[in-house]
Amino acid sequence: MKTKIALLILFISGNLFAQEQKMTAAEIASFKEDVNVVSKKIKTLSTDFVQYKHLDFLSKDIETSGKMIFKEPSLLQWQYKKPYNYSIVFKNGKILINDEGKKSAVDIGNSKIFGRINKLIVGSVSGNMFDDKEFTISYFKVKGQNLAKFVPKDATLKKYIKQIELTFDKEEATVIQVKLLESSEDYTRIVLKNKVINAKIDDSVFTN
Amino acid sequence: MQKSTIQFLLINCFLAIVLVSCGSVTKNYTPKKLDKTSYEVPYFSDSKTDYVYKTNITVYGNEISGIFIAKKINDTTHRIVFTTEFGNKLLDFEISDNSFKVNSIVSELDRKILINTLKGDFRLLLKKEYLIQEQFENDSDNIYKSKDGKRDNYLFISKKDHRLEKVVHSSQTKEKFTLTFTSENNIFAEKIQIIHQNIKLKIELNYFKSE
Repeated sequence: MKTKIALLILFISGNLFAQEQKMTAAEIASFKEDVNVVSKKIKTLSTDFVQYKHLDFLSKDIETSGKMIFKEPSLLQWQYKKPYNYSIVFKNGKILINDEGKKSAVDIGNSKIFGRINKLIVGSVSGNMFDDKEFTISYFKVKGQNLAKFVPKDATLKKYIKQIELTFDKEEATVIQVKLLESSEDYTRIVLKNKVINAKIDDSVFTN
Repeated sequence: MQKSTIQFLLINCFLAIVLVSCGSVTKNYTPKKLDKTSYEVPYFSDSKTDYVYKTNITVYGNEISGIFIAKKINDTTHRIVFTTEFGNKLLDFEISDNSFKVNSIVSELDRKILINTLKGDFRLLLKKEYLIQEQFENDSDNIYKSKDGKRDNYLFISKKDHRLEKVVHSSQTKEKFTLTFTSENNIFAEKIQIIHQNIKLKIELNYFKSE
């Protein structure tokens, strides 16, 4: 019995170790290099996504899904298709919203916070977000995947997002999951699937 | 003599119109003998259900959309969270008949008048039980009057299928805001509207099941 318990403890603690392991300086450098090479090549990107909103007091995560399309330098469409239609386009300093056919536009002009959000979304999906001025970044290895954790330095941004976690496929060096933490209990987890890089995407896609 | 009679009639008519329009909410309804002394609302009463609604708020011509989430966390209290479609939390309240706590609110919405308005709206939306003092009816509904401090709530329950369709929150003379419910199964409401009569505020909730 004692041995069984000891084995169980070993197994559990072993698992804990296996979950997150800090990268060495050399591993960080090589990981960042890989991601930079891949993200520099990205001219267009489209991907399906499933978003899980986790609130600690709910019995189930709230699941929504859709498609995200990005085109250089800064055209972005984030489109929810299930269980409702809601699409948001970032284009020429404007946010265009189509909410179940009801359209509206917000002129963000030089709004710093929205510029930052735009950069953040594109950075999150392309992976190119290693900006030491904006974030305190830490790097981990998790069974076949790499994980980077970003803590915003800016006080305004920090009010909305406590931490961003990007999970990368080790081989392809692309983002497969984005996790936005609001607090220790509440977060939004976005899983990216069916990613297509550099397919031809017309500007007309980014209308709403 | 004839002239003064006409004047007299005119004044009387005018007075009659003024009096009628100043009358209470129940002016068009027929009083009826009480058939119950309390009413329990089913729509947010199950502690196992996550009540999740796509939400549109129109306030003085501005539109805000997002996701409204309510959950009964104990016998008396509901937790309410409103997030954007992206999932960012905009406000997080705990509310019961006689308590209210702001867990968090973004600075853009952190205005006392707004918080108090939403507090009143949500408290009525989530209210489980109404004590009834008077009853009325019209062609389609039984109407129950329930005291709420200095004000009153009027519950409209359809005669056809006995479902709560409307709650009117009213002062002695004026309707303040109205909740309307559309419910297929009388367990939860698929569609809810909160419409204010004295300020330009409308909140529309549409229930959705996540995948």
